Amino acid sequence: MNDSIQWISWVKHGVVFGYLIAMYMFLISMAVGAHLVTLFAKAYYRDEDFLPLQKVGTFLPLLILLLMPLLLAVDMTHPERSFTMYYHWNWTATVAWGAYIMPLCVICYAFHSFYLFRPEMMVAVREGRPGSQLYRVLLRDKIEEGTAAEIRQRQQKAERLWANLSIVFSFLALIYVGMRLASFKGRVMVHSLVMVFMFISMAASSGAAFMILLGRLKTAIAPPPGPALAKQNRFLADFGVILKFALVAQLVIWIIYLIQLNFTGTGGKLAAYIFLSGPRSFYFWAFQVVIGLLAPLALVLFASLRQDVRASAAAAVATMLGAFFAVADLSIGSQLIPMTHLEWETLASEPLKMAFGIIIMVILFLLFLASYKILPYETPVSQKSEA
Amino acid sequence: MKNRGKDMGRREFLKKMGATATALGAGAVLIQAGDLVQAATPPKKYGMVIDTNRCIGCHGCTIACKSENNVPEGVFRSWVLQITKGKYPHVKNHLLPRLCNNCEDAPCLNDCPTGATYRTPEDGVVHVNRDICVGCHTCVLACPYNSRFINPLTGTADKCDFCYHRITKGLKPACVDACTGKARIFGDMNDPRSEVSLYLSKYPVQGLRTYLDTKPKVHYVYADEAIIDLDYSFLSRRKS
Repeated sequence: MNDSIQWISWVKHGVVFGYLIAMYMFLISMAVGAHLVTLFAKAYYRDEDFLPLQKVGTFLPLLILLLMPLLLAVDMTHPERSFTMYYHWNWTATVAWGAYIMPLCVICYAFHSFYLFRPEMMVAVREGRPGSQLYRVLLRDKIEEGTAAEIRQRQQKAERLWANLSIVFSFLALIYVGMRLASFKGRVMVHSLVMVFMFISMAASSGAAFMILLGRLKTAIAPPPGPALAKQNRFLADFGVILKFALVAQLVIWIIYLIQLNFTGTGGKLAAYIFLSGPRSFYFWAFQVVIGLLAPLALVLFASLRQDVRASAAAAVATMLGAFFAVADLSIGSQLIPMTHLEWETLASEPLKMAFGIIIMVILFLLFLASYKILPYETPVSQKSEA
Repeated sequence: MKNRGKDMGRREFLKKMGATATALGAGAVLIQAGDLVQAATPPKKYGMVIDTNRCIGCHGCTIACKSENNVPEGVFRSWVLQITKGKYPHVKNHLLPRLCNNCEDAPCLNDCPTGATYRTPEDGVVHVNRDICVGCHTCVLACPYNSRFINPLTGTADKCDFCYHRITKGLKPACVDACTGKARIFGDMNDPRSEVSLYLSKYPVQGLRTYLDTKPKVHYVYADEAIIDLDYSFLSRRKS
């Protein structure tokens, strides 16, 4: 029927949420995922030597979440008015919920990080180690007696409280990013609760990948003393197991999602077509499936590969790339379907926004590296508990 | 000095907290209920009927809207879609004038984080408050009709508000006044004697994406299904 139809006049509306917003959602899910994966791993191991990795999984996500609003601000036309959301709150809007969830998430991560580093900072101040001036300011000059293990024992209640709160807000953050896309009623590709599960699975995979990559970097830049190194390497190899199962979960959820789309009328079929052979098919097959899913799955399948630094780092980078393109394909792909005519909507190039996003990523990476040198990630052997 | 905080027992504290929470909750429920009652029975309900049989595709409405509302180049509050259907010599021309539907359950309003998008309770028209819009693009994406855009001049969300500055003075929207074929009929849908109500009762009307349950207030008469109900399978059959 449509073959005989010619479109004479129409208006193109374009894509409004570009790569910057995709980067925002991806980085939130990765940061939150890294934190959750670390917390659950800590609950499983209950090992003192896991603490440095727990610090990586708490403080670095905090840095990411602190810089993320910049990406939003650049995408907004009136970022100076963003505080309006706090006092002119519209409870039916997902973004309005995010305006509260994300800062609360940052506060929880900040306090949790503080309590994780606190015992080592106190020891460093008492021993006059490099950085003690900074630590003294952070500790507000309240230095306690005892070993790092003893101080940690005393502050256990507070540390646990912030850890539990950060779990709650991490899940809320994932629900927020999922619902942010799912709330768009007219966009058949994303208007589904599957988005929340999609973000949870991507958070698990990209979070585990983040921990593998940044954990390996930490052990290279600030190596732990003595036998702790072997233990940390084992923990990092175990993150590969988490990554393996997270990738399988991601694969299952994507298959369910694509099947669901195929049963959601013409619009749903078109949405599936966008991924499989339409305008986003190259990104879907090349970046999401081959690089982001199959390659890392192959690289973490066997224990020997998970223990190999290069193989696990490559798997981590590939997973992150795949997760980013998954978010971009969902966010941008959903806007490619026209709603008033029959031409694909197009994404205008945004070189300045892209450059800004890349600069933010570079700054984040430099901050990660600087934190390894400045903050006391490792506990000296003499300060560990005797048990 | 007596410390009042310490004098208060846990039971008393919980009682007071409970009473405060109940009062706040009841207040919020009453406010919401009041809003709902007001929204359910607005004194006026402005809407439009577009008789596509009368549209001649002159784009006069598009131009009138642009000049009346100072709409910048490249963006539109009102525009006309045009298709031809069939093969020579059996070709038909179909037109569909478009504008914001000012939906009764507007997704853009629900998704606006600051409440910059709001509805005037007395007539149900959906507006954008330019002073508090942050330009987050959420409403542009939330609108299932692509009726919204970011105004390049103000940097805020923009859309048709039925020329509110005109209708509140008893005038018709600029597009209605400029329509050559008198295809656009505007008025109060709550008034049974208004032209728009008479039209609605006389003809079978269609709406855009009615399955979304947004309750659009722009209705169409005699619109061809090829233009009002797009067949997206066409896109997957064509090379992207």
